[in-house]
Parts: sequence; C-alpha cells; structure tokens
Amino acid sequence: MNRFPNHRFLPYGLVLPSVAVIFIFLIIPFGQAIYLSFHRVSPFGALRNVGWRNYVEMFASSEYLFSFRNTMIFSVLVIGVGLTIALCIALLTTQKIRGAAFYQIAFIWTYAMSPIIAGVMWSLIFDPSIGIMARLISSATGFSINYFTDPVAAFLLVTAASVWVMLGYNICFFVAGLQNVPHELKEAAWIDGATTWQTFWVVTFPMLSPTTAFLVFVNTVYAFFQSFGMIDVVTQGGPNRATEFLIYKIYRDGFGRMQEGQAAAQSVFLFVLIAVVGAVQIYTSTRKAVYHR
Amino acid sequence: MYRMRKSSLFFVALALILTLSGIAAAQQPVTVEFWHSMTGSRLNVLNKVVEDFNALNPLMQIEPVLVGTYEECLTRFRAAYQANQEPGIVQIYEVGTQTMHDSGMIIPAYQIPERLGETWDFGQYIRPIVQYYSKDGNLWSWPFASSTAMIYYNADHFRAAGLDPNKPPTTWEEMYEYGLKLVQAGVVKNALSFGWPDWMFENALALHDLEYANMGNGRSGRPTEVSWPNEFTDELLSIWAKMAEDDVWIYGGAEYNANAAFQSGEITFLMQSTSSLDGILTTVGDSFEVRTTFLPRLANPKYARGNSLIGGNSLYVSNRVSNDELRVIFEFFKYLSRTDVSVYWHKNTGYFPATNAAVKALMDEGWFTQSPNHLTAFLQILSGKTDTDASAGMRMGPFAQAREWVRTALERIANGEDQRAALEYSAQQINALLAEYNEFFE
Amino acid sequence: MKRKTINTVLTHAILIITLVAVAFPMYYAFVMATHTHQDAYAFPPILRPGNQLWNNLKEAWVRVNMGRLLTNSSIIAVVVAFGKIVFSILAAFAFTHFKFRGNWFLFPLCMVTQMMPLPVRVIPLYRMMANWNWLNTYRALTIPYFASTTGIILFRQFYLTVPEELADAARVDGATPMKYLWHILLPLSWTNVAALLVIEFVYMWNEYLWPNIATTAADMRVAQIGLRMLYTSERGAAEWHIIMAGLLIIMLPPLIVLIIFRRQFAQGIAMQTTK
Repeated sequence: MNRFPNHRFLPYGLVLPSVAVIFIFLIIPFGQAIYLSFHRVSPFGALRNVGWRNYVEMFASSEYLFSFRNTMIFSVLVIGVGLTIALCIALLTTQKIRGAAFYQIAFIWTYAMSPIIAGVMWSLIFDPSIGIMARLISSATGFSINYFTDPVAAFLLVTAASVWVMLGYNICFFVAGLQNVPHELKEAAWIDGATTWQTFWVVTFPMLSPTTAFLVFVNTVYAFFQSFGMIDVVTQGGPNRATEFLIYKIYRDGFGRMQEGQAAAQSVFLFVLIAVVGAVQIYTSTRKAVYHR
Repeated sequence: MYRMRKSSLFFVALALILTLSGIAAAQQPVTVEFWHSMTGSRLNVLNKVVEDFNALNPLMQIEPVLVGTYEECLTRFRAAYQANQEPGIVQIYEVGTQTMHDSGMIIPAYQIPERLGETWDFGQYIRPIVQYYSKDGNLWSWPFASSTAMIYYNADHFRAAGLDPNKPPTTWEEMYEYGLKLVQAGVVKNALSFGWPDWMFENALALHDLEYANMGNGRSGRPTEVSWPNEFTDELLSIWAKMAEDDVWIYGGAEYNANAAFQSGEITFLMQSTSSLDGILTTVGDSFEVRTTFLPRLANPKYARGNSLIGGNSLYVSNRVSNDELRVIFEFFKYLSRTDVSVYWHKNTGYFPATNAAVKALMDEGWFTQSPNHLTAFLQILSGKTDTDASAGMRMGPFAQAREWVRTALERIANGEDQRAALEYSAQQINALLAEYNEFFE
Repeated sequence: MKRKTINTVLTHAILIITLVAVAFPMYYAFVMATHTHQDAYAFPPILRPGNQLWNNLKEAWVRVNMGRLLTNSSIIAVVVAFGKIVFSILAAFAFTHFKFRGNWFLFPLCMVTQMMPLPVRVIPLYRMMANWNWLNTYRALTIPYFASTTGIILFRQFYLTVPEELADAARVDGATPMKYLWHILLPLSWTNVAALLVIEFVYMWNEYLWPNIATTAADMRVAQIGLRMLYTSERGAAEWHIIMAGLLIIMLPPLIVLIIFRRQFAQGIAMQTTK
C-alpha cells in the first residue's frame, strides 16, 4: 500500500484539489441546506426558526407521501424493466454469434442522449395530436391518451423515455460483466447436466451480482436525480402531480413555491435515502468480491 | 510666483482631466437589464420594440433577457435581488403582484417620475389595468402586457353541427347544450377546453362579481381564507362536472397546452387569454374560421354582473437602480406608452393597447372593424364593472401555489371526482398557505 | 446442429427487432426534422424522410443562436472532463500509493459526491456563486463539478492492479512519486483517461439544471437550454420539425465523442466491473 513512505505530506497535496472542491461546493451548501431545514424562509429571505416543524409536516403531507410513492414506483419500474431488458440484450449479444461486437456497439448510443433529449423524443411519440404511439393506442383500444391531462400517460411517458435513455449504459455494463464470467464455470455446470436456464441462475447471475448492484445504484441515482431535466421540460411534474418526483418537488417547493425551508428538509431526507441505497450497494459488491476470491 | 504657476498648471490639468473624463462618462451608455418571459411569437415583437428604443438614443440602452417562464422570472428576481445581482426592470405576471408589493425590493411605479423631478399622467391608461395594479389609488407597476380571457370558437364546426356561428353561447347552460350537440353530431370528440384553467376559475368568480378571498378580495389586507366553495361554485362546477362526464369539456392542461387541440380542429371552444390571439390566427391560417366571443355566465339572474380579470404582466423596477439608470428606465417606460408603440404591441400580440390614446388611434384607423377578434376581449372588459373588489381582481401572497391547487381540483373534477370535495380540499390547502404567508408579517 | 442454427437465427432476429425498436425514436425524430410544418402534422404520419432537413437545421440554428450554445457547451464539457481527470488521477494515486492518516475518512468523503446531487443544494450554491460574483461565468459552470466519484473509483481500481514492483523499481532508481506518476503510471492509464473523458463529456454536455440557474445572459446559455427553448417556445402548435432539427444538432457532439472512444469506454467499464 505505502509505496513511497518518505513523502508524508504529498498524499494530502494530491487529494487536496478533490477534497477542496467537495468541501466548498458540496459540503458547505449542503450544510446550509441542513441549517435551512430548521427554518421557514420568507419570500424575501428572512429566516424564522421553526425547529423540527418542516420535517414533521413533510411526513404528514399527503403531497409529499404521494410524491414519495410515485418516485418509488418510478424507480422500481426504471430499474426492474430497464435492467431486465438490458440483461436480455446483453445475454444475446454475448452469445457466440457473428456480429456480436457490432450489436454491442449498436446498442451503446442511447448513453449519449440526455434525459431532455429522450424526453423530447418520447413526447413526440406520445403527442396527443400527432404522436404515433398515442394514435396506435387510441385506434387499438379506443382510449385516447393525453399526457397533458392523464397522469398515467405522463407517468408511462417518462418511464419509457427513462428506460430507453439508460439502456445503452446498462447493456454496456452487463456485457462487460458477462464477459468476466469465467467460461469454465459454465462448462462445469453444463457437464453436471444443468440446463442453460439453470446455468444462468446458478452460475452467471450470482457472478453478475456486483455489476447488478452497481447498476441498481446508478439507475436509482438516475431515477431519483437525473430524471429532473426530463420532468422539467416535458411534464413540469404534472398532470395532477403524477410526475412530481422527490427531486422535482424539492426544486418546485424551493424555487417556484417559495418554501425554501420545507425544500431543504426534503433535501436532507433525500440525501439520507440515497446514502442508504449507496451503502447497500457498497456492502453487496464488496461481500461478493470477497466471496469469490 | 513660481508656486502659483505650478498650482495654476495643476488646476488646468485637473480641469482638463475632469472635462475629459466627464465627456468619457457622458458618452458611456447606460444599459439597463430587462428580464422577461415573452416566449414564442411575442419574443420577436418585444425584441423589435426594444431595438427601436435603443436606436433612438445610443446612450440609453435596454438589454432584454428572456429568463424563462413567469414563475422562473419571479423566483430568479427574488434570488438575484438577495445576491445583489438583480436587473433594473423585471416583468412579473399578475400572480406575483402581492409578493412584489410586499417584497421591499421595488420602486412603486408612481414614484418613478417624482424621483426624477418629473411628472407623468397615470390617468392615460385604461381603467381596468390601472384598477388591477393599483394600491391605495397609485400604480405600483408599469402597465405593459395586459390581457383578459375570452372564448375562441371554430365557426366551421358550428356550421357542420347545424349551429349558427353568429349566435355563440352566452351562458354556461348554452355552452353545455351547444357542446353536447357538437359531440353528438360527431363533429368533435370533445367540444371545450380551457387554457390557464386556474385563471378561468378566477374569471368565473369575478365575472359574477364574487370575491375569491376575504379581506376585500385581498385588496384591503392580506387575505386569510378563500371564499369558496360556495353556492355559486356548486352551481357552476356541477355544470363543468356534467360537461366532463358527457365529453363536452376536456381538461386541457396548464397554460397554453390546450391551444394545440383548438388549432388542429379537435375542439370547438377554447377559453384562453387574448394574448394567444395572434398566435392562433397565424397557425390556423385558412384551415378554418376562428371567431371570438365573451366568457359565458350562469343563466341564474341572481348573480350580479362583474368583469373578466386582467391578466398578463406588468413591469417592476428594482429599488437599487441609480438615478442614471432610473432615467433610462423612465424613458423606456414612456416609450412603451407611446401611442404608436402601444398600437404595434397590441396588433402583433393581442395584448391590450394600454393607453386610452392608443385605443382611440386604433378606432380611428378602423382596426377593430377590420379585425373584430381583436375587439372582443376589449369590449368585454370595458363593459364590465371596475369599481368592486371582486371585479378588480384578487391579491394574495401564495398566489402561484393557490393556482396549482385550483388546477388540482379541476383535474380531479374532470376525472369524475366530486366537485365539492375536490374544491373543499384545495381551499383548505390554500388557507394553510395563506396562514403561513401571513406569519412572516406578524 | 440444426437446433443451433435455429437458435442463431432466432438470436439475430430478436436482436435486430430490438435494435429497430430502440432506434425508432431517433429515426422518427430524424424524419420529423426533414419535413415541413404541414407534413409533420400529416395523417397518417409520414415515415419517409422529406427534403426539408437543411432548411429546418438552418432555422433551428438561427432561432436559438446555436453556434454560441454549442461553443459554450463544448468549452464547459471539455474543461470539466479535463479537470475531473486530473483531480481524480491525483486523488486515486494518493489513495493507492500512500498510507496516510485521514485516508479512512477522505476516501468515503469522495464517494459522497454521488449522493449530494445538485438539486439538493442548489439554492445555497446559487447564493454562494452570486456572492462571489460568479453568475454568468464559465467558472460557475465548471469548477463546482471538478470532483468526481466515478473518476476516483475508475483510477483507483486500475492502480490497484498495477504491480507493486513497478513502483519499487522506480523508487530504487530514485524517481520521485510525481515522476513515477507522470512517466510510468500515466502512460499506462490512457484507456481509463479516454473512458472517463467520454463519461464526463457526455455528463457535462447533458447537464441542465445548474447551467439554467447559474446563467441568465443569452451568450452564456448551453445546448440543453437551447433545446428547451425550442421545445417550449411554441407549445400552441409545436413546431416539431424545428424542435427535432435542433435536437439532432444538440445530440451530435456527445454521440461523436462516444463513437470515437467507444472501445476505451467499453474497456474502462469492463475494468470497473472487475473487482
């Protein structure tokens, strides 16, 4: 570990730039958010200490719980649907087929798309008057779906766009993970008479778990935070707050609704939430790594 | 002697430097930033107005900055002011009126000429606008882009359903009846949609001379609770609920989202701000005949006649501008109030011509006969009351959130929930917000 | 043998169908960008490209001053990618080659950045930038981003696999740590550098909230905001042909970067998944 023992101060100098940036632009503002979370802030910047009231009211507010529930459903969908599709495609492209490398490349590109671009593309597809999907659905079922007014349609729109935009990244990681699964292990399973399906569940999937845990974390971060741009541009949290996910609610409460204190309390809670997910991810991936060493 | 020469030389030099720097200073143009939210077709019109002003005097420059939505503009201004980074002029929508009055960040409009030792006749603006933006009889913001709501309708649909396009509905009962006919005749799937649905609810109250909130509709003090649900909203919203059930009314989303459906001929009636007029006329072109009419009332004669509400926005000035900047701002404001500029602004956006002189000029040139759609809203608002608190428009701090709650209620009603319960719930939420806002002034 | 052929054909078929499905939104966007306003609204929808692409691109370009937006986004994305690479190489070098007090605490601290995303601290950060007079500057759009969890993990992972003998040999030869980093470690790290370049360039190009809040001046806007302006400006009758033309322009730079460095990107990712 210590390959240059005679340089006592150098390592501090080396981490200083990163640590300074983190301290100044992350820790300090976040500390201020914690401070604000115990205050009510007037629209003109005056502070009034209110103790734990922001937190108490947050958990009592049906809007907050609604937003919390929707964020969870959204995350589960993005992670569940997104990772399943990505894993299937990754499994197919790592078969011994011609053009496997081409397919692996051909699926990467959605990674370069921003959430806003994805949102705009999908809002065209779902556009109530000319969108191809909206028309297909209405001619197939007789229901006309309008994401300006229909909460379910808006929810589906942002979910579809999110799954789509994360697909490239997810496939890329699964492909890398699959390529790291030693072939001998699979062969051993086959020799023992396991079917392909059994081999997958018994050998491949457990070996993939660090990758999966990592992707669950990254996709959670996406669903919790990165979806912001898409929401702001396409649905603005509506209709009927169906797409007002936690992060967007923080922004709306803090900025548009002039309730900075309440928004700060939500920020602190959201941080705790994501820290738990992050800790679980680190725990899962390190445990597995130790296990197969 | 020598001494004196030296000192006189010094004074000459000093005078020279002062003069030169004086010239330099005088030639330095004073630029004032102007934050606004004029998107779409309005953006080009605004930019043209500012360009023309800037061309008049190179030493007085206005720099327009499109900041985003109305809400973003208000929020950004507050944040920027606290950080000493605010612009000289900011455009604020009518929703922000109370917040701006309470903010302590602005110079009330009526004080601007006083501060510069000049005078200005604020009586030249049309009555409803003055009424809306005044506090204790004085204008607090500069009238700029004012509008009201009206009905746009598709005359071709009328003909297709066997209705007379010269007889648009005047009451909600008729609206329901017409809409049902249109839907049943298969002309459209849904007949009616609202732009700014929250504002349409406010308009309906004002049109029947009913207050939205207590404390004289928020005009004599900070309101503590809203005045609805009540008998009137029961009556009106039952009709809306029935219309939703029978597919006559379709909830069209916030702000301008419903315009698309009207422009593509999917609905017959659109209740929308007059400021959409030019955009709609241009987009529709020759594909069908667009007509406009007054907002409908309830047939029940017991409700008094009020007025439709002023919407849109007005201009506020930061109280940290220097005197030089204030002079530029005042010149710019005077320019905006010029008859030819008001006329240009009105013709190209659909916003009201703000001054009486501009209205007269438009009448003299026969503009309203030539383009009757531009007259509708105008007639509507000039023929209504302006002397009651209810018709002058309500005022409250958390207005933006109140609108969100009204929208929520309307969305719920459109989805078939009980109208009374939906409104009641939203009213409670707004009352809580009002209490919270008022706590800051205790 | 036969079964295997069927399987292969089936695999190809499924892959091609999914590929088409995934590419469809992009294709539809492209088709829209090639039509006139009227054709964009045609029923049934036209799925063949038209001949208006050039006109629409020009219109979108002019309407939001695209040249300026692309310049700003490029500057920001390149500077941030560069800053993040340098900062994370230094930090990763410290975490892997030195034993020092505070290590136990500083490494997790660097991991925390992923959990404190911008919206959670955006208002205090805005005040801070305003107090420093940083609003509407490139500084505000770049420096707060310089710390990178992904980068530190990526380089740390890699440096842990570099044989210790290399460092020992360098030390015996009398090389200082910085010389060792510069002459031996860095040349080995190019794949990671390229991978991180892709990740951070794409990330920064697609950043929206902070550039939107930290800038008001028209000449400081970034590409994503331009897309939003195109998208929301005429919601009345959305001009899809212009919106999509603008979208095509805006999505291109990160796509090009990704395509150029796709192999390094994939290898970098492979390295991150092996523990």
